[in-house]
Amino acid sequence: MENRSLIQRFVSKPEFGPLVLLVAEIAVFWSINPDFLSPLNISNTLSFTVELGLIALAMTLLMTAGEFDLSVGSVFGFAPVLMWTLFNSGITSLEVAFVIALAVAALIGLANGLFVTRIKISSFLVTLGMLLVVRGVALFISDGFPQRTWSAGQHWLAHVLVGDFYVGPFRIYMSLFWFIGFALLLGYVLTQTKAGNWIQATGGNPGAARARGVNVNRTKVLLFMLSATMASFAGVISSIRTSAANPNSGAGYELEVIAMVVIGGTALMGGRGTIIGTVLGVFILRVMRNGIVLIGVPGLAYNIFIGAIILGMMTLHSILERRHQAGT
Amino acid sequence: MTDLIRMEHVSKAYGKIQALKDVDFTVRENEIVGLLGDNGAGKSTLIKVLSGAVPSTSGDIYVRGKKVSIRSTTDAIANGIETIYQDSALVTQLSIARNLFLGREPVKGPRFLNRLDHAAMDAVARDLLKRVGISKNIPPSTPVGSLSGGERQAVAIARAMYFESDLIILDEPTNNLGVAETQGVLRFVRNARKSGHSCIFIAHNIHHVFQVVDRIVVMRGGRVVADDINPKETSVEDVERIITGMTDEELEQALGVNNH
Repeated sequence: MENRSLIQRFVSKPEFGPLVLLVAEIAVFWSINPDFLSPLNISNTLSFTVELGLIALAMTLLMTAGEFDLSVGSVFGFAPVLMWTLFNSGITSLEVAFVIALAVAALIGLANGLFVTRIKISSFLVTLGMLLVVRGVALFISDGFPQRTWSAGQHWLAHVLVGDFYVGPFRIYMSLFWFIGFALLLGYVLTQTKAGNWIQATGGNPGAARARGVNVNRTKVLLFMLSATMASFAGVISSIRTSAANPNSGAGYELEVIAMVVIGGTALMGGRGTIIGTVLGVFILRVMRNGIVLIGVPGLAYNIFIGAIILGMMTLHSILERRHQAGT
Repeated sequence: MTDLIRMEHVSKAYGKIQALKDVDFTVRENEIVGLLGDNGAGKSTLIKVLSGAVPSTSGDIYVRGKKVSIRSTTDAIANGIETIYQDSALVTQLSIARNLFLGREPVKGPRFLNRLDHAAMDAVARDLLKRVGISKNIPPSTPVGSLSGGERQAVAIARAMYFESDLIILDEPTNNLGVAETQGVLRFVRNARKSGHSCIFIAHNIHHVFQVVDRIVVMRGGRVVADDINPKETSVEDVERIITGMTDEELEQALGVNNH
Protein backbone atom coordinates (compact mmCIF):
# COMPACT_ATOMS: atom_id res chain seq x y z
CA MET A 1 0.00 0.00 0.00
CA GLU A 2 2.81 2.35 1.01
CA ASN A 3 4.72 1.39 -2.16
CA ARG A 4 1.70 1.99 -4.30
CA SER A 5 1.21 5.46 -2.91
CA LEU A 6 4.90 6.20 -3.48
CA ILE A 7 4.56 5.18 -7.13
CA GLN A 8 1.35 7.17 -7.43
CA ARG A 9 3.05 10.22 -6.01
CA PHE A 10 5.94 9.82 -8.45
CA VAL A 11 3.58 9.47 -11.40
CA SER A 12 1.57 12.54 -10.38
CA LYS A 13 4.71 14.74 -10.32
CA PRO A 14 4.82 17.25 -13.19
CA GLU A 15 8.29 15.97 -14.09
CA PHE A 16 7.08 12.41 -14.71
CA GLY A 17 5.70 13.03 -18.23
CA PRO A 18 8.87 14.77 -19.51
CA LEU A 19 11.06 12.05 -17.96
CA VAL A 20 9.15 9.29 -19.76
CA LEU A 21 9.33 11.24 -23.00
CA LEU A 22 13.09 11.77 -22.71
CA VAL A 23 13.77 8.11 -21.92
CA ALA A 24 11.54 7.01 -24.82
CA GLU A 25 13.24 9.46 -27.16
CA ILE A 26 16.73 8.24 -26.24
CA ALA A 27 15.62 4.59 -26.56
CA VAL A 28 14.14 5.15 -30.03
CA PHE A 29 17.17 7.03 -31.40
CA TRP A 30 19.58 4.54 -29.88
CA SER A 31 17.72 1.55 -31.31
CA ILE A 32 17.77 3.09 -34.80
CA ASN A 33 21.37 4.29 -34.64
CA PRO A 34 23.63 2.92 -31.85
CA ASP A 35 26.08 5.79 -32.53
CA PHE A 36 23.54 8.03 -30.85
CA LEU A 37 25.02 7.06 -27.48
CA SER A 38 28.63 7.19 -28.64
CA PRO A 39 30.97 9.33 -26.47
CA LEU A 40 31.53 11.73 -29.37
CA ASN A 41 27.84 12.36 -29.91
CA ILE A 42 27.11 12.68 -26.18
CA SER A 43 29.95 15.20 -25.82
CA ASN A 44 28.74 17.25 -28.80
CA THR A 45 25.13 17.25 -27.63
CA LEU A 46 26.10 18.31 -24.11
CA SER A 47 28.27 21.19 -25.36
CA PHE A 48 25.55 23.07 -27.19
CA THR A 49 22.65 21.95 -25.03
CA VAL A 50 23.71 23.85 -21.96
CA GLU A 51 23.89 27.26 -23.62
CA LEU A 52 20.14 27.34 -24.30
CA GLY A 53 19.68 25.49 -21.01
CA LEU A 54 21.13 28.38 -19.02
CA ILE A 55 18.50 30.75 -20.46
CA ALA A 56 15.77 28.18 -19.85
CA LEU A 57 16.69 27.95 -16.14
CA ALA A 58 16.21 31.69 -15.62
CA MET A 59 13.09 31.67 -17.80
CA THR A 60 11.60 29.00 -15.53
CA LEU A 61 11.69 31.36 -12.55
CA LEU A 62 10.34 34.25 -14.61
CA MET A 63 7.49 32.15 -16.00
CA THR A 64 6.68 30.81 -12.54
CA ALA A 65 6.23 34.45 -11.53
CA GLY A 66 3.70 34.80 -14.37
CA GLU A 67 5.78 36.65 -16.98
CA PHE A 68 7.96 35.71 -19.91
CA ASP A 69 10.78 37.27 -21.88
CA LEU A 70 10.90 37.23 -25.69
CA SER A 71 14.07 39.34 -25.82
CA VAL A 72 16.45 36.60 -24.56
CA GLY A 73 17.46 35.50 -28.09
CA SER A 74 18.40 39.06 -29.01
CA VAL A 75 20.34 39.57 -25.77
CA PHE A 76 22.10 36.25 -26.47
CA GLY A 77 23.30 37.75 -29.78
CA PHE A 78 23.88 41.31 -28.55
CA ALA A 79 25.94 40.75 -25.37
CA PRO A 80 28.90 39.00 -27.04
CA VAL A 81 28.88 41.52 -29.90
CA LEU A 82 29.16 44.30 -27.33
CA MET A 83 31.83 42.48 -25.35
CA TRP A 84 34.03 41.65 -28.35
CA THR A 85 33.57 45.07 -29.96
CA LEU A 86 34.84 46.68 -26.74
CA PHE A 87 37.75 44.24 -26.51
CA ASN A 88 38.74 44.09 -30.19
CA SER A 89 38.76 47.87 -30.50
CA GLY A 90 41.13 48.05 -27.53
CA ILE A 91 38.78 50.05 -25.31
CA THR A 92 38.90 47.67 -22.36
CA SER A 93 40.34 44.39 -21.22
CA LEU A 94 38.40 41.19 -21.83
CA GLU A 95 37.39 40.91 -18.17
CA VAL A 96 35.95 44.44 -18.06
CA ALA A 97 34.20 43.94 -21.40
CA PHE A 98 32.65 40.75 -20.01
CA VAL A 99 31.36 42.54 -16.91
CA ILE A 100 30.03 45.43 -19.02
CA ALA A 101 28.18 42.98 -21.29
CA LEU A 102 26.52 41.35 -18.27
CA ALA A 103 25.71 44.71 -16.68
CA VAL A 104 24.15 46.10 -19.87
CA ALA A 105 22.06 42.92 -20.13
CA ALA A 106 20.92 43.41 -16.53
CA LEU A 107 19.86 46.95 -17.46
CA ILE A 108 17.88 45.59 -20.43
CA GLY A 109 16.16 43.25 -17.96
CA LEU A 110 15.56 46.16 -15.61
CA ALA A 111 13.93 48.13 -18.44
CA ASN A 112 11.71 45.14 -19.31
CA GLY A 113 10.72 44.77 -15.68
CA LEU A 114 9.92 48.44 -15.17
CA PHE A 115 7.81 48.62 -18.33
CA VAL A 116 5.84 45.56 -17.18
CA THR A 117 5.38 46.49 -13.52
CA ARG A 118 5.22 50.30 -13.59
CA ILE A 119 3.58 51.08 -16.91
CA LYS A 120 1.54 47.87 -16.79
CA ILE A 121 2.20 46.70 -20.33
CA SER A 122 2.06 42.93 -20.84
CA SER A 123 5.44 41.22 -20.89
CA PHE A 124 4.60 39.83 -24.34
CA LEU A 125 4.52 43.31 -25.87
CA VAL A 126 7.35 44.81 -23.82
CA THR A 127 9.82 42.03 -24.56
CA LEU A 128 8.71 41.82 -28.20
CA GLY A 129 9.62 45.48 -28.53
CA MET A 130 12.88 44.91 -26.67
CA LEU A 131 13.67 41.94 -28.95
CA LEU A 132 13.68 44.31 -31.95
CA VAL A 133 15.53 47.14 -30.19
CA VAL A 134 18.33 44.89 -28.91
CA ARG A 135 18.72 43.00 -32.18
CA GLY A 136 18.77 46.30 -34.02
CA VAL A 137 21.50 47.67 -31.78
CA ALA A 138 23.58 44.49 -32.23
CA LEU A 139 23.34 44.79 -36.02
CA PHE A 140 24.02 48.53 -35.93
CA ILE A 141 27.16 48.46 -33.79
CA SER A 142 28.62 45.53 -35.71
CA ASP A 143 27.52 46.70 -39.18
CA GLY A 144 25.96 43.28 -39.43
CA PHE A 145 29.32 41.50 -39.41
CA PRO A 146 30.41 38.91 -36.86
CA GLN A 147 33.05 39.96 -34.35
CA ARG A 148 36.16 37.78 -34.14
CA THR A 149 36.59 36.02 -30.82
CA TRP A 150 39.52 33.71 -31.50
CA SER A 151 41.74 36.30 -29.82
CA ALA A 152 40.35 34.89 -26.57
CA GLY A 153 42.91 32.17 -27.23
CA GLN A 154 44.38 31.07 -23.96
CA HIS A 155 42.75 33.79 -21.89
CA TRP A 156 41.78 32.52 -18.43
CA LEU A 157 38.19 33.75 -18.91
CA ALA A 158 37.80 31.56 -21.98
CA HIS A 159 39.06 28.58 -19.98
CA VAL A 160 36.71 29.24 -17.10
CA LEU A 161 33.71 29.67 -19.38
CA VAL A 162 34.22 27.08 -22.12
CA GLY A 163 37.49 25.27 -21.46
CA ASP A 164 37.31 21.56 -22.18
CA PHE A 165 38.94 18.42 -20.91
CA TYR A 166 38.57 14.70 -21.35
CA VAL A 167 37.03 12.30 -18.86
CA GLY A 168 37.79 8.94 -20.47
CA PRO A 169 36.42 9.18 -24.00
CA PHE A 170 34.08 12.08 -23.12
CA ARG A 171 35.02 15.64 -23.99
CA ILE A 172 33.51 17.82 -21.28
CA TYR A 173 33.10 21.59 -21.60
CA MET A 174 33.23 23.89 -18.57
CA SER A 175 29.86 25.30 -19.64
CA LEU A 176 28.32 22.01 -18.50
CA PHE A 177 29.44 22.76 -14.94
CA TRP A 178 27.98 26.26 -15.16
CA PHE A 179 24.70 24.70 -16.24
CA ILE A 180 24.74 22.12 -13.43
CA GLY A 181 25.69 24.81 -10.91
CA PHE A 182 22.90 27.17 -11.95
CA ALA A 183 20.37 24.32 -12.13
CA LEU A 184 21.19 23.37 -8.52
CA LEU A 185 21.20 26.98 -7.35
CA LEU A 186 17.94 28.02 -9.03
CA GLY A 187 16.27 24.72 -8.12
CA TYR A 188 17.21 25.42 -4.51
CA VAL A 189 15.94 28.99 -4.71
CA LEU A 190 12.61 27.94 -6.20
CA THR A 191 11.81 25.07 -3.85
CA GLN A 192 13.66 25.71 -0.61
CA THR A 193 13.79 29.44 -0.02
CA LYS A 194 11.55 32.28 1.01
CA ALA A 195 12.29 33.92 -2.35
CA GLY A 196 11.00 30.80 -4.12
CA ASN A 197 7.74 30.98 -2.18
CA TRP A 198 7.38 34.62 -3.22
CA ILE A 199 8.08 33.81 -6.87
CA GLN A 200 5.37 31.11 -6.91
CA ALA A 201 2.88 33.33 -5.08
CA THR A 202 3.63 36.23 -7.46
CA GLY A 203 2.65 34.07 -10.42
CA GLY A 204 -0.17 32.18 -8.69
CA ASN A 205 -2.15 35.04 -7.16
CA PRO A 206 -0.41 38.43 -7.25
CA GLY A 207 -3.25 40.11 -5.35
CA ALA A 208 -3.02 37.68 -2.45
CA ALA A 209 0.78 37.85 -2.47
CA ARG A 210 0.70 41.64 -2.35
CA ALA A 211 -1.79 41.60 0.52
CA ARG A 212 0.64 39.43 2.50
CA GLY A 213 3.43 41.95 2.06
CA VAL A 214 5.21 40.24 -0.85
CA ASN A 215 6.82 42.83 -3.10
CA VAL A 216 5.40 41.46 -6.34
CA ASN A 217 6.84 44.15 -8.59
CA ARG A 218 10.36 43.89 -7.23
CA THR A 219 10.24 40.11 -7.54
CA LYS A 220 9.29 40.41 -11.22
CA VAL A 221 11.88 43.08 -12.00
CA LEU A 222 14.68 41.01 -10.44
CA LEU A 223 13.61 37.97 -12.45
CA PHE A 224 13.61 39.98 -15.71
CA MET A 225 17.15 41.07 -14.82
CA LEU A 226 18.18 37.48 -14.10
CA SER A 227 16.70 36.30 -17.38
CA ALA A 228 18.56 38.91 -19.46
CA THR A 229 21.83 38.45 -17.56
CA MET A 230 21.69 34.69 -18.03
CA ALA A 231 20.96 35.14 -21.75
CA SER A 232 24.03 37.36 -22.11
CA PHE A 233 26.17 34.89 -20.14
CA ALA A 234 25.03 32.07 -22.44
CA GLY A 235 25.68 34.25 -25.49
CA VAL A 236 29.25 34.97 -24.40
CA ILE A 237 29.90 31.26 -23.78
CA SER A 238 28.52 30.42 -27.22
CA SER A 239 30.62 33.13 -28.91
CA ILE A 240 33.85 31.75 -27.46
CA ARG A 241 32.95 28.14 -28.25
CA THR A 242 32.08 28.93 -31.88
CA SER A 243 34.88 31.54 -32.26
CA ALA A 244 32.48 34.20 -33.52
CA ALA A 245 30.10 36.78 -32.07
CA ASN A 246 27.40 36.98 -34.70
CA PRO A 247 24.83 39.77 -34.24
CA ASN A 248 22.19 37.46 -35.68
CA SER A 249 22.86 34.53 -33.36
CA GLY A 250 20.12 33.50 -30.97
CA ALA A 251 17.31 34.40 -33.38
CA GLY A 252 14.30 32.27 -32.53
CA TYR A 253 15.87 31.01 -29.29
CA GLU A 254 13.20 32.75 -27.21
CA LEU A 255 10.46 30.44 -28.46
CA GLU A 256 12.61 27.34 -28.18
CA VAL A 257 13.48 28.26 -24.58
CA ILE A 258 9.82 28.88 -23.67
CA ALA A 259 8.96 25.53 -25.28
CA MET A 260 11.63 23.80 -23.17
CA VAL A 261 10.25 25.32 -19.98
CA VAL A 262 6.63 24.50 -20.78
CA ILE A 263 7.40 20.94 -21.93
CA GLY A 264 9.18 20.48 -18.61
CA GLY A 265 5.98 21.15 -16.71
CA THR A 266 6.15 24.83 -15.72
CA ALA A 267 2.75 26.49 -16.06
CA LEU A 268 2.59 29.02 -18.91
CA MET A 269 0.38 31.32 -16.84
CA GLY A 270 2.57 31.17 -13.72
CA GLY A 271 2.26 29.89 -10.17
CA ARG A 272 3.96 26.55 -10.69
CA GLY A 273 7.48 25.88 -11.91
CA THR A 274 10.03 23.11 -11.88
CA ILE A 275 13.75 23.33 -12.55
CA ILE A 276 14.10 19.54 -12.82
CA GLY A 277 11.34 19.62 -15.44
CA THR A 278 13.11 22.37 -17.35
CA VAL A 279 16.37 20.38 -17.38
CA LEU A 280 14.37 17.47 -18.85
CA GLY A 281 12.64 19.84 -21.31
CA VAL A 282 16.01 21.21 -22.44
CA PHE A 283 17.29 17.70 -23.14
CA ILE A 284 14.05 16.59 -24.82
CA LEU A 285 14.30 19.30 -27.47
CA ARG A 286 18.07 19.17 -27.91
CA VAL A 287 18.19 15.37 -28.07
CA MET A 288 15.40 15.55 -30.63
CA ARG A 289 17.38 18.01 -32.76
CA ASN A 290 20.49 15.83 -32.58
CA GLY A 291 18.67 12.52 -32.93
CA ILE A 292 16.62 13.24 -36.03
CA VAL A 293 19.73 14.33 -37.88
CA LEU A 294 21.58 11.22 -36.72
CA ILE A 295 18.87 8.81 -37.87
CA GLY A 296 18.69 10.47 -41.29
CA VAL A 297 15.56 12.59 -41.03
CA PRO A 298 16.15 15.90 -42.86
CA GLY A 299 17.11 18.58 -40.34
CA LEU A 300 14.52 20.89 -41.86
CA ALA A 301 11.82 18.59 -40.46
CA TYR A 302 12.95 19.40 -36.92
CA ASN A 303 10.18 21.91 -36.24
CA ILE A 304 7.50 19.36 -37.14
CA PHE A 305 8.68 17.14 -34.29
CA ILE A 306 9.03 20.01 -31.83
CA GLY A 307 5.53 21.27 -32.59
CA ALA A 308 4.12 17.77 -32.23
CA ILE A 309 5.90 17.29 -28.88
CA ILE A 310 4.56 20.59 -27.52
CA LEU A 311 1.01 19.69 -28.55
CA GLY A 312 1.38 16.19 -27.10
CA MET A 313 2.81 17.41 -23.80
CA MET A 314 0.14 20.07 -23.40
CA THR A 315 -2.57 17.46 -24.03
CA LEU A 316 -0.99 15.20 -21.42
CA HIS A 317 -0.76 18.07 -18.89
CA SER A 318 -4.37 19.01 -19.49
CA ILE A 319 -5.59 15.42 -19.01
CA LEU A 320 -3.53 14.97 -15.82
CA GLU A 321 -4.71 18.31 -14.46
CA ARG A 322 -8.36 17.42 -15.02
CA ARG A 323 -7.89 14.01 -13.41
CA HIS A 324 -6.14 15.68 -10.49
CA GLN A 325 -8.97 18.15 -9.98
CA ALA A 326 -11.54 15.38 -10.21
CA GLY A 327 -9.65 13.72 -7.36
CA THR A 328 -8.85 10.51 -9.25
CA MET B 1 -16.11 45.02 26.61
CA THR B 2 -13.71 47.67 25.34
CA ASP B 3 -13.63 48.91 21.77
CA LEU B 4 -11.14 47.15 19.49
CA ILE B 5 -11.93 49.13 16.34
CA ARG B 6 -13.81 52.40 16.16
CA MET B 7 -14.61 54.23 12.93
CA GLU B 8 -15.87 57.79 13.37
CA HIS B 9 -17.62 59.96 10.78
CA VAL B 10 -16.19 57.90 7.91
CA SER B 11 -17.31 58.92 4.43
CA LYS B 12 -16.31 57.61 1.05
CA ALA B 13 -17.23 59.04 -2.34
CA TYR B 14 -16.58 57.48 -5.73
CA GLY B 15 -16.82 60.55 -7.92
CA LYS B 16 -20.35 61.86 -7.38
CA ILE B 17 -21.57 58.67 -5.75
CA GLN B 18 -21.51 58.85 -1.96
CA ALA B 19 -20.95 55.21 -0.91
CA LEU B 20 -20.48 55.94 2.83
CA LYS B 21 -22.12 58.85 4.61
CA ASP B 22 -20.75 59.84 8.01
CA VAL B 23 -20.55 56.27 9.31
CA ASP B 24 -19.78 55.40 12.93
CA PHE B 25 -18.95 51.74 13.43
CA THR B 26 -17.46 49.84 16.35
CA VAL B 27 -16.20 46.32 16.98
CA ARG B 28 -15.47 45.39 20.59
CA GLU B 29 -12.85 43.01 21.91
CA ASN B 30 -13.73 39.35 21.51
CA GLU B 31 -16.96 40.09 19.66
CA ILE B 32 -18.47 38.80 16.43
CA VAL B 33 -20.39 41.50 14.60
CA GLY B 34 -22.74 40.67 11.74
CA LEU B 35 -22.74 43.39 9.09
CA LEU B 36 -25.93 43.30 7.03
CA GLY B 37 -27.41 45.38 4.26
CA ASP B 38 -28.93 45.08 0.83
CA ASN B 39 -26.84 45.36 -2.34
CA GLY B 40 -25.41 48.86 -2.54
CA ALA B 41 -26.01 49.55 1.18
CA GLY B 42 -22.32 50.36 1.68
CA LYS B 43 -21.12 47.35 3.64
CA SER B 44 -18.53 46.33 1.02
CA THR B 45 -17.17 49.88 0.91
CA LEU B 46 -16.99 50.00 4.70
CA ILE B 47 -14.97 46.77 4.70
CA LYS B 48 -12.74 48.00 1.89
CA VAL B 49 -11.93 51.14 3.89
CA LEU B 50 -11.21 49.13 7.02
CA SER B 51 -9.06 46.58 5.19
CA GLY B 52 -7.07 49.23 3.33
CA ALA B 53 -8.32 48.27 -0.13
CA VAL B 54 -9.63 51.84 -0.68
CA PRO B 55 -8.90 55.01 1.30
CA SER B 56 -11.76 56.87 2.97
CA THR B 57 -12.61 60.40 1.83
CA SER B 58 -12.91 61.62 5.41
CA GLY B 59 -13.24 60.32 8.97
CA ASP B 60 -11.01 58.57 11.50
CA ILE B 61 -10.18 54.99 12.42
CA TYR B 62 -9.04 54.02 15.93
CA VAL B 63 -7.50 50.69 16.96
CA ARG B 64 -7.71 50.20 20.75
CA GLY B 65 -8.25 53.93 21.14
CA LYS B 66 -5.23 54.90 19.08
CA LYS B 67 -5.82 56.77 15.82
CA VAL B 68 -4.34 54.90 12.84
CA SER B 69 -3.91 55.55 9.15
CA ILE B 70 -4.94 52.65 6.91
CA ARG B 71 -3.97 53.36 3.30
CA SER B 72 -3.14 49.81 2.12
CA THR B 73 -3.82 46.18 2.96
CA THR B 74 -0.32 46.02 4.43
CA ASP B 75 -1.25 48.88 6.81
CA ALA B 76 -4.39 46.98 7.83
CA ILE B 77 -2.47 43.76 8.50
CA ALA B 78 0.12 45.71 10.50
CA ASN B 79 -2.75 47.04 12.62
CA GLY B 80 -4.06 43.53 13.26
CA ILE B 81 -6.90 43.64 10.70
CA GLU B 82 -7.11 40.67 8.36
CA THR B 83 -9.72 40.40 5.62
CA ILE B 84 -10.69 37.06 4.18
CA TYR B 85 -12.37 37.24 0.82
CA GLN B 86 -13.76 34.07 -0.66
CA ASP B 87 -10.83 32.41 -2.48
CA SER B 88 -8.89 35.57 -3.25
CA ALA B 89 -6.65 35.53 -0.17
CA LEU B 90 -4.90 32.25 -1.01
CA VAL B 91 -2.52 31.04 -3.70
CA THR B 92 -4.10 27.84 -4.94
CA GLN B 93 -0.86 26.45 -6.38
CA LEU B 94 0.94 26.65 -3.04
CA SER B 95 0.60 24.19 -0.18
CA ILE B 96 -1.38 24.92 2.98
CA ALA B 97 1.82 25.49 4.98
CA ARG B 98 3.32 27.82 2.35
CA ASN B 99 0.08 29.82 2.21
CA LEU B 100 -0.12 30.13 5.98
CA PHE B 101 3.33 31.68 6.16
CA LEU B 102 3.34 33.61 2.88
CA GLY B 103 5.18 36.90 3.40
CA ARG B 104 6.38 35.88 6.90
CA GLU B 105 8.13 32.60 6.22
CA PRO B 106 10.33 31.23 9.01
CA VAL B 107 13.90 30.52 7.83
CA LYS B 108 16.64 28.41 9.34
CA GLY B 109 20.39 28.06 8.99
CA PRO B 110 22.70 30.85 7.83
CA ARG B 111 20.79 33.98 6.82
CA PHE B 112 22.19 34.22 3.30
CA LEU B 113 20.81 30.75 2.48
CA ASN B 114 17.30 32.13 3.04
CA ARG B 115 16.18 28.56 3.65
CA LEU B 116 12.57 27.81 4.58
CA ASP B 117 12.05 25.97 7.86
CA HIS B 118 9.69 23.35 6.40
CA ALA B 119 9.54 21.31 9.61
CA ALA B 120 8.44 24.27 11.72
CA MET B 121 5.95 25.39 9.06
CA ASP B 122 4.39 21.92 8.85
CA ALA B 123 4.18 21.53 12.63
CA VAL B 124 2.44 24.89 13.10
CA ALA B 125 0.13 24.22 10.14
CA ARG B 126 -0.93 20.85 11.58
CA ASP B 127 -1.64 22.40 14.97
CA LEU B 128 -3.54 25.34 13.48
CA LEU B 129 -5.75 23.17 11.31
CA LYS B 130 -6.69 21.23 14.43
CA ARG B 131 -7.33 24.42 16.41
CA VAL B 132 -9.50 25.94 13.74
CA GLY B 133 -11.58 22.79 13.82
CA ILE B 134 -10.74 20.81 10.68
CA SER B 135 -11.34 17.25 11.80
CA LYS B 136 -10.04 15.57 8.64
CA ASN B 137 -6.36 14.71 8.59
CA ILE B 138 -5.09 16.96 5.79
CA PRO B 139 -1.29 17.02 5.29
CA PRO B 140 0.11 20.60 5.36
CA SER B 141 1.84 19.90 2.03
CA THR B 142 -1.56 19.65 0.27
CA PRO B 143 -2.00 22.34 -2.40
CA VAL B 144 -4.81 24.73 -1.47
CA GLY B 145 -6.26 24.21 -4.96
CA SER B 146 -7.33 20.70 -4.01
CA LEU B 147 -9.21 21.79 -0.86
CA SER B 148 -12.96 22.40 -0.68
CA GLY B 149 -14.36 25.93 -0.32
CA GLY B 150 -14.94 25.50 3.41
CA GLU B 151 -11.45 24.12 4.00
CA ARG B 152 -9.96 27.11 2.17
CA GLN B 153 -11.86 29.44 4.48
CA ALA B 154 -10.46 27.46 7.40
CA VAL B 155 -6.89 27.91 6.13
CA ALA B 156 -7.45 31.67 5.76
CA ILE B 157 -8.96 31.91 9.25
CA ALA B 158 -6.14 29.79 10.69
CA ARG B 159 -3.60 32.17 9.17
CA ALA B 160 -5.32 35.19 10.69
CA MET B 161 -5.39 33.42 14.08
CA TYR B 162 -1.73 32.47 13.97
CA PHE B 163 -0.54 35.95 13.11
CA GLU B 164 -2.56 37.34 15.99
CA SER B 165 -4.86 39.43 13.85
CA ASP B 166 -7.16 41.06 16.39
CA LEU B 167 -9.94 41.55 13.87
CA ILE B 168 -10.82 39.01 11.20
CA ILE B 169 -13.18 40.29 8.52
CA LEU B 170 -15.05 37.53 6.71
CA ASP B 171 -16.65 38.69 3.48
CA GLU B 172 -19.35 36.25 2.38
CA PRO B 173 -17.50 33.23 3.80
CA THR B 174 -20.47 30.90 3.33
CA ASN B 175 -21.20 31.78 -0.31
CA ASN B 176 -21.49 28.76 -2.58
CA LEU B 177 -20.93 26.34 0.30
CA GLY B 178 -23.04 23.29 1.09
CA VAL B 179 -24.87 22.85 4.42
CA ALA B 180 -22.13 20.82 6.13
CA GLU B 181 -19.37 23.09 4.84
CA THR B 182 -21.26 26.17 6.06
CA GLN B 183 -21.60 24.67 9.53
CA GLY B 184 -17.86 24.01 9.42
CA VAL B 185 -17.08 27.65 8.62
CA LEU B 186 -19.42 28.85 11.39
CA ARG B 187 -17.54 26.55 13.78
CA PHE B 188 -14.21 28.02 12.62
CA VAL B 189 -15.55 31.51 13.37
CA ARG B 190 -16.69 30.48 16.86
CA ASN B 191 -13.28 28.91 17.50
CA ALA B 192 -11.59 32.14 16.42
CA ARG B 193 -13.61 34.05 19.06
CA LYS B 194 -12.76 31.40 21.65
CA SER B 195 -9.08 32.14 21.05
CA GLY B 196 -9.67 35.84 21.68
CA HIS B 197 -10.24 37.27 18.20
CA SER B 198 -12.98 39.60 17.04
CA CYS B 199 -14.75 39.12 13.71
CA ILE B 200 -16.91 41.03 11.28
CA PHE B 201 -19.15 38.57 9.50
CA ILE B 202 -20.82 39.58 6.25
CA ALA B 203 -23.28 37.23 4.58
CA HIS B 204 -26.35 37.51 2.43
CA ASN B 205 -27.88 34.59 4.27
CA ILE B 206 -29.25 36.19 7.47
CA HIS B 207 -29.77 32.77 9.08
CA HIS B 208 -26.03 32.10 8.95
CA VAL B 209 -25.38 35.47 10.57
CA PHE B 210 -27.90 34.78 13.33
CA GLN B 211 -26.21 31.49 14.20
CA VAL B 212 -22.85 32.97 15.00
CA VAL B 213 -22.83 36.69 15.82
CA ASP B 214 -23.12 38.60 19.12
CA ARG B 215 -24.42 41.81 17.58
CA ILE B 216 -25.87 42.88 14.25
CA VAL B 217 -25.21 46.18 12.47
CA VAL B 218 -27.43 47.12 9.53
CA MET B 219 -26.51 49.54 6.74
CA ARG B 220 -28.80 51.19 4.22
CA GLY B 221 -28.03 53.87 1.64
CA GLY B 222 -24.45 54.31 2.83
CA ARG B 223 -25.43 54.88 6.47
CA VAL B 224 -25.58 52.73 9.59
CA VAL B 225 -29.30 52.52 10.44
CA ALA B 226 -29.07 50.10 13.40
CA ASP B 227 -25.98 49.11 15.30
CA ASP B 228 -27.00 47.23 18.39
CA ILE B 229 -29.32 44.45 17.36
CA ASN B 230 -29.14 41.45 19.65
CA PRO B 231 -29.80 38.33 17.54
CA LYS B 232 -31.15 36.50 20.59
CA GLU B 233 -33.90 39.06 21.12
CA THR B 234 -34.73 39.94 17.52
CA SER B 235 -36.38 37.93 14.77
CA VAL B 236 -34.98 37.43 11.28
CA GLU B 237 -38.10 39.16 9.91
CA ASP B 238 -37.49 42.26 12.00
CA VAL B 239 -33.93 42.49 10.74
CA GLU B 240 -35.13 42.05 7.16
CA ARG B 241 -37.50 44.99 7.69
CA ILE B 242 -34.63 47.15 8.93
CA ILE B 243 -32.45 46.11 5.98
CA THR B 244 -35.08 47.01 3.40
CA GLY B 245 -36.59 49.94 5.32
CA MET B 246 -40.05 48.69 4.47
CA THR B 247 -43.15 48.47 6.66
CA ASP B 248 -44.67 45.05 7.41
CA GLU B 249 -47.18 45.40 4.61
CA GLU B 250 -44.63 46.62 2.07
CA LEU B 251 -42.28 43.79 2.97
CA GLU B 252 -45.01 41.18 2.68
CA GLN B 253 -46.00 42.58 -0.67
CA ALA B 254 -42.42 42.61 -1.90
CA LEU B 255 -41.88 39.05 -0.73
CA GLY B 256 -45.22 37.94 -2.13
CA VAL B 257 -46.31 36.60 1.25
CA ASN B 258 -49.99 35.88 1.74
CA ASN B 259 -51.05 35.32 5.35
CA HIS B 260 -54.64 34.46 4.51
